[in-house]
Amino acid sequence: MSVRRIWRIMPLFILAALLMAACAAPAAPSEPAASDGGEQTSEAAVSDNGCVGTIKLGAAVSETGKYAREGKDTRQGYNTWLDWVNKEYGGVKVGGDCYNVEIVYYDDEGDPDTAANLAEKLITDDEVDFLLGPYSSGLTMAASAISEKYNKIMIEGNGASESLFERGFKNLFAVLTPAGNYTQSALKALADQGATSVVIAYEDTAFPSSVGAGAQKWAEEYGLEILGVETYPKDVADVSAIMTKFRDMEPDVFVGGGHFNDALLFVRAAQELGFSPKAMVITVGPSNPKFVEEVGDAANYIIGPTQWEATMSYQDDYFGSAADYAARYEGMWGEPPTYQAAESTATALALQLAIEAAGSLDSDAVRQALNDLDVMTFYGPINFDETGKNAGKPMGAIQIQAGAINVVAPADAAVSELEYPMPAWDER
Amino acid sequence: MDQLSQAAINGVMLGGFYAVMVLGFSIIWGVMGVINLAHGEFVMVGAYITWLLSKQLGWEPFATVIVVFPVMFAVGYALQHGLINRVIDRPYLISLLVTYGLSIIIANATKIIFTATPRTVDTAFSGFWRVGDVTVPITKTIVLIAALIIMSGLHLFLQYTRLGKSIRAAAQNREAARIVGIEIKYVYAITFAICIALTAVAGTLVAPTQPIYPFMGPPLTLKAFAITAMAGLGSIPGALMGGIVLGLVEVLIATFVPGVGTNLGIVSSFVILVVVLVTRPQGLFGGLKPAGAH
Repeated sequence: MSVRRIWRIMPLFILAALLMAACAAPAAPSEPAASDGGEQTSEAAVSDNGCVGTIKLGAAVSETGKYAREGKDTRQGYNTWLDWVNKEYGGVKVGGDCYNVEIVYYDDEGDPDTAANLAEKLITDDEVDFLLGPYSSGLTMAASAISEKYNKIMIEGNGASESLFERGFKNLFAVLTPAGNYTQSALKALADQGATSVVIAYEDTAFPSSVGAGAQKWAEEYGLEILGVETYPKDVADVSAIMTKFRDMEPDVFVGGGHFNDALLFVRAAQELGFSPKAMVITVGPSNPKFVEEVGDAANYIIGPTQWEATMSYQDDYFGSAADYAARYEGMWGEPPTYQAAESTATALALQLAIEAAGSLDSDAVRQALNDLDVMTFYGPINFDETGKNAGKPMGAIQIQAGAINVVAPADAAVSELEYPMPAWDER
Repeated sequence: MDQLSQAAINGVMLGGFYAVMVLGFSIIWGVMGVINLAHGEFVMVGAYITWLLSKQLGWEPFATVIVVFPVMFAVGYALQHGLINRVIDRPYLISLLVTYGLSIIIANATKIIFTATPRTVDTAFSGFWRVGDVTVPITKTIVLIAALIIMSGLHLFLQYTRLGKSIRAAAQNREAARIVGIEIKYVYAITFAICIALTAVAGTLVAPTQPIYPFMGPPLTLKAFAITAMAGLGSIPGALMGGIVLGLVEVLIATFVPGVGTNLGIVSSFVILVVVLVTRPQGLFGGLKPAGAH
């Protein structure tokens, strides 16, 4: 074969190699990537602190797919804890010994089947001791079914749907406030301001469905008339029909249950169609600083539920106050923490505290310790009820005010007054 | 009535975007027999170029077409020349695999470069006009007009220029075209380049109307597939009608079915696809050649 001929087919080889790499990616642990910070073994190789062993945790979290953004926050949250526990805390204390921690990551691509397969792989191939949850209720639903089958503990901070905890599972624990309560404090505050009617749109997947059902429940509770309820599918790119219908109903409050992308879509559609309710409550997006960055001035007056904000008054002996945690996180990742990141760190911290309380890595002992856990953390109180939900933690609400994310409810956590009503789009 | 006219307007606007989005996919399939599974990714790349120029350099998003078109034309030409040409005579499966691989590479490269955060593009033409009780979104009106201009231009190009005629000749009968002196490789490369450039321009048009993110491609490719099969390969009037029919059906169902309308609307495109494939496999409007012939 002449040199010239080899050169001619070279691109094919390169392409084939790239293809194989791309196809193999979901099945192989992520390489340590500079952009994403420490992954897999990269952060775990701390051997000089005299620890006797390694605790292996496994997590399949979206790196690609619809939840790539939130998945990144989740990984960064886990890795913030990992870095702290290995380097500063000196390993997890089990009995008299200390253990380093390693997290094996995979990319679930936002697909429930993949999440389930990877959970199985983590348990059977990688033989991890405990599982950390993925991002989103739907993926947690799929992955936790596998961990329950193998009687492995999965602790998570990013699956808030109530349906996760109605299956009688013994091995699933969640540190976050369940989805049904997301809109409670916001709707209460709006009802107090004189709002009388509400429309609700939500994605027909696990978490938003819980948010939607909860919003209907709380609306009735606070005397808000429900004028319309609409659902939409996961990859929706056009919500103009929903917003048109809602506009004609002239509601006081719009509630949008979805993820980051949907929040952008709702605001854009409302602006385009001149749909100006007196308040817009949208999940997941508004509490993320990136939302203000993307939407700009149109983000003002929008209300969002929040699991956690750096201005809240919680603190612990590990990460210090909520503000201390935020500073540490920003130092590591160059961006402020979203609540998804904070709850991921809190997830891993709760597991660590349970292992230490149990003094063992045995699943039964740790499960018992998780059931008994009752602690205050930088993220808020953690106290699991018999189904594995965190019963102790209230949900906050933020409003974007002149570009700043301010907590406006509940009253004891608020740093600013709720601005109501929101001015019409063409009167700003 | 107002709700109906509003729904009709929303549907036509959505359809205009679908039509311009589907052109590149449809013509590549019709002319070369390549089903470009990376189609949605090229829409996404165009949208990201627009985002980059408008957010970083302050350009008006719609004006970025003057950069997006030539840049993606060059990219398309190079891709065809270096990659697609090598697999074009092989079985369908090979080009499917190659373009599928391309889609994964492009989406992940975009994620690494721009991160996974959904982005929005702001245009000076946001807002709406009120016509009676109906609201007409300004941005989407511009998209619709641009789509019509692009489609007319492409139609004239294919019908009346020498190059356009060579493209149609190559689609109809490759061997005969070769015999009369058309350089097939060159025609294919130009066709691919034009199609990729148009696809990216569709990305420019969509960027101001919805958030863009690295993994937005696959649903678009799926929709392009449905519209193309429905409308006929490489048919411009077909793409326009197919796009608008689909846009209207989606929005009308979403508007008038309470509760789950938006879900049903999205399903409808695939129901239409199945019905058309069974009853009229050459597509509703004919086209360059019947689906499946190769």
